[in-house]
Amino acid sequence: MRSLATLNIGSTTHVVDISGEDNTSLRLLEMGLTPGVEVTVVSTAPLGDPVELELRGYRLSIRRNEAARVVVAN
Amino acid sequence: MSFIKTQDTTEQLVADTDMKLTVALLGNPNTGKSTLFSALAGIPTRIANYPGVTVEEKLGQFHHRAHTIKLIDLPGAYSLNAKSPDEQVAVDVLHGNLTGIEQPDCIVVVVDATNLSRNLYLVSQALAIGKPVLVALTLCDVAESKGIHINREKLSEFLGCPVLRLVAPRREGIDHLAETLIESSDWSGQTIPESLTSRLATCSDSDRPVASAEAIARYGWIDEITKDVLSYSVQQSRSLGDHIDSVLTHRVFGTVVFALTMLSIFSSIFWLASPLMDLISGGVEFAAGLAESIMPDGILQSLVIDGVIAGVGGVIIFLPQIAILFLFVAVLEGCGYLARAAFLMDRLLVGVGLSGKSFIPLLSSFACAIPGIMAARTIENRRDRLLTILVAPLMSCSARLPVYLLLCSAFVPNVAVGNSWIRLPAVVLASMYLVGILVAAMVAFILSRTIFRGPPQPFVLELPSWRWPQVAVVVERVREAAVSFLKNAGTLILAVSIVVWALGSFPRPVLEAGVNPESAEQQGEALRQSFLGQAGRLIEPVVKPLGWDWRIGCAAVASFPAREVVLGVLGVIYNLGDVDPGEEDGAGMLIRQLRAATWDGTDRKVFTLPVALSIMVFFALCAQCASTLVIIGKETASWFWPLVSFAYMTALAWIGAFFVFQIGTALGW
Repeated sequence: MRSLATLNIGSTTHVVDISGEDNTSLRLLEMGLTPGVEVTVVSTAPLGDPVELELRGYRLSIRRNEAARVVVAN
Repeated sequence: MSFIKTQDTTEQLVADTDMKLTVALLGNPNTGKSTLFSALAGIPTRIANYPGVTVEEKLGQFHHRAHTIKLIDLPGAYSLNAKSPDEQVAVDVLHGNLTGIEQPDCIVVVVDATNLSRNLYLVSQALAIGKPVLVALTLCDVAESKGIHINREKLSEFLGCPVLRLVAPRREGIDHLAETLIESSDWSGQTIPESLTSRLATCSDSDRPVASAEAIARYGWIDEITKDVLSYSVQQSRSLGDHIDSVLTHRVFGTVVFALTMLSIFSSIFWLASPLMDLISGGVEFAAGLAESIMPDGILQSLVIDGVIAGVGGVIIFLPQIAILFLFVAVLEGCGYLARAAFLMDRLLVGVGLSGKSFIPLLSSFACAIPGIMAARTIENRRDRLLTILVAPLMSCSARLPVYLLLCSAFVPNVAVGNSWIRLPAVVLASMYLVGILVAAMVAFILSRTIFRGPPQPFVLELPSWRWPQVAVVVERVREAAVSFLKNAGTLILAVSIVVWALGSFPRPVLEAGVNPESAEQQGEALRQSFLGQAGRLIEPVVKPLGWDWRIGCAAVASFPAREVVLGVLGVIYNLGDVDPGEEDGAGMLIRQLRAATWDGTDRKVFTLPVALSIMVFFALCAQCASTLVIIGKETASWFWPLVSFAYMTALAWIGAFFVFQIGTALGW
C-alpha cells in the first residue's frame, strides 16, 4: 500500500482508502476520491505542491499532505 | 370599448395566475449556475446579504405564461454537509431556516453534464430535502462535443425526478424548464429513490464515521447510475483543454503565462481607461463651468462647484478602470483561469501562512477590498479566512489608484529609467502595489506564526474545465461593480464631500472693512479658521514628520470614510485656500492647484517628490475606508477585528510614510 503523494506525474492507479476521520478526509471523499475510483496524477504546481489530479472526468487539486491520506493500489 | 376589452383580458390573466412559485438554484461551483440565472431572470432584482451571515444572495423574478416565479440563487456548494459559510447558507435556505427568506417550493439542481458523477453527489443530497427536485443538465453542448452522452430518460428514472437538457447561453431548454417548474407545484413531495435509501441504511453499521460511510454509499449509488446512463462516442483522448492545462499549469510556462497575464491586466487598466477618463474629466469641468456661469457667486455656488461637482467628479472618473478590472476578473473566472492561479500560487501563499484559496480574495482586493473580503468566504478554514480578511485591505484597491495616479503624474518626473522604455512614474506606481503585497506577506507571516498558530489547513480545489466565459455573466459582474461603485460615489462620498466642504467653509471669518473676501490671502485665512483647518493644525505635529502640512493632514483625516475622497478633499482644500494655480498644459485643475501649493506664509512648495511618495505609501497601507472596516466587522461577526485592522494598518502607514519621506529627503530627491 502506498499513498497518492508518492506517485510520479502521469501515473494512474485506484484509490483503496482515505485515512483519517476529520472534515478533510470527508471532503476528499465528497469530491469523489472514494475507494475503487481511478485517479491520475496530472501535474504539480511550480513549487512541487499542490498536485493536480484527474478523477471521475474532472480535475482536482490537493496538497501533498492531503494526498498522503489517499491510500492507493500499487 | 377597446379599453374595457383590455381590462377584461388582464383580469383573466390575473385569475389564471394566482400561483407564485419560489425556486432555488442549487449547484456545484462552476456549473454555469449564474448563466442559467441570467437566462431565466435577467438582471437580479436584488443583490444583498443573507441576514446575519453575509453570504451574498441573488434574487430574481420572471414570468412564464403569466405565472410569477421567484428565483433564489444559492451559493455554490459541493455538499449539503456544510463545511463553509456558503454551504451553510445553501442548507439553511433549502430547509427554510433563514429568517427573511421563504423556503423554496422547488429546487433546481444545476448539474454540469461534463462532470456528471461528482455533480450527482449534491443531487443525491438534495433529493432528501422533500421538496420537488428538478435536475437541469447544463453545458450539454460541451459534453456532446467531448463525446459524452447522457441518457436522460434513464437518469430521470434512477433519480425519480425530471432531468432537463439546457444550453443556457443559447437559451435552449429555458422555456421547457420554466414550464416544468410550473407543473412541479402539482407534484407531491420528493422521495429518495429506494436504490439510494437501501445503500444509506447500511451506513450506521460501518466502522467509519457515518458522514464518511454515507459519502462512499452515495458514490456507490452514483457509480451504479453512471454505468447505465453515460456512454462515450469517441475514445477519451487528450482534449484541447488538457493541452491548454498542460501549458498553463506547467512549472515554467505556467508561471510565465501567469506573470504575463497579470502584467497585461495591469497595463490595460491604465491604457484602455485613459480615453474614457479624459471624457469624464471634460464633462466634469464642463459642469463646473456651467454652474459657475448660471449660479450667482456665493455660498451656494461654492457648495455646488467645490463641494458637489468637485467631490463626485473626482470619483466617477475612475469608473472606467473599475469596469475594466472587473471585466478581466470576470473573464478569468469564467474561463477557469482563476482556479489555476490559486493552484499555481498555493505553495507561495502557504509560505506566508495563507493558502492558494486566499489568492482569489486577494486578487479581487486589488479592485476593492470589499468583494475581496467577501470572497474569502470560499475559504472553509476559519483561520485562513480570518488571516486573508486581515491582509486583504493591504492590496492596493482601485480607490488608491486615483491617489497614486494623480501624485505620480504630478510629482514623479516622467523620465526613462536608465536606457529602457520603462518610465519612472510607472515604476513608482508598480512599487506602491509591491509595498502593499510585501507588507501583507510580512503581516500574514508574523500572524500565522503567532496568534494564528495551528496545524496546516486542508486545500481541496476543483480546476474547472476550460470554457468560453459567458458574455451575460461577465456583463453582469461589470455592471454590479460599476453600480455599487457609483452608488458609493453618489451617496457616501457625496455626503463626505459636502461635509468636508462645510467643515472647510465654516465658521466664516469676520471680515474687516475694505478687505476683498475673494482675495487668495483671505480665502487661505478663512480655511485656517475653519473647523477643518483647526482639526488639521491640531494633528500637524503628528503628520509633520511625514513631510505633510496641516492641509494634507486634514485630507487624510477627512478621507476616513473612503480613500478616494482624499482627492476631492485636496481639491476642495486647495481650491478654497490657494492662489490661482494658472494654466499649464496636460495637467488637470487639481494637479495645477497641488503644484502651486506652498507652506503657509512661505514660498516653499508643499508637494515635493518625498512628500508625494510619503502620501502614496501612507495611502497604500492605511485603513481609510469605513466600508471595508464595516465589512470586516460583519464577516468576522465582531468589532474586535475591524479595530485591529484599523490600528495595525494606521501604525504601519505612518511608519512607512515616515521612512519614505525621511529617506527620500536625506537622499535629496
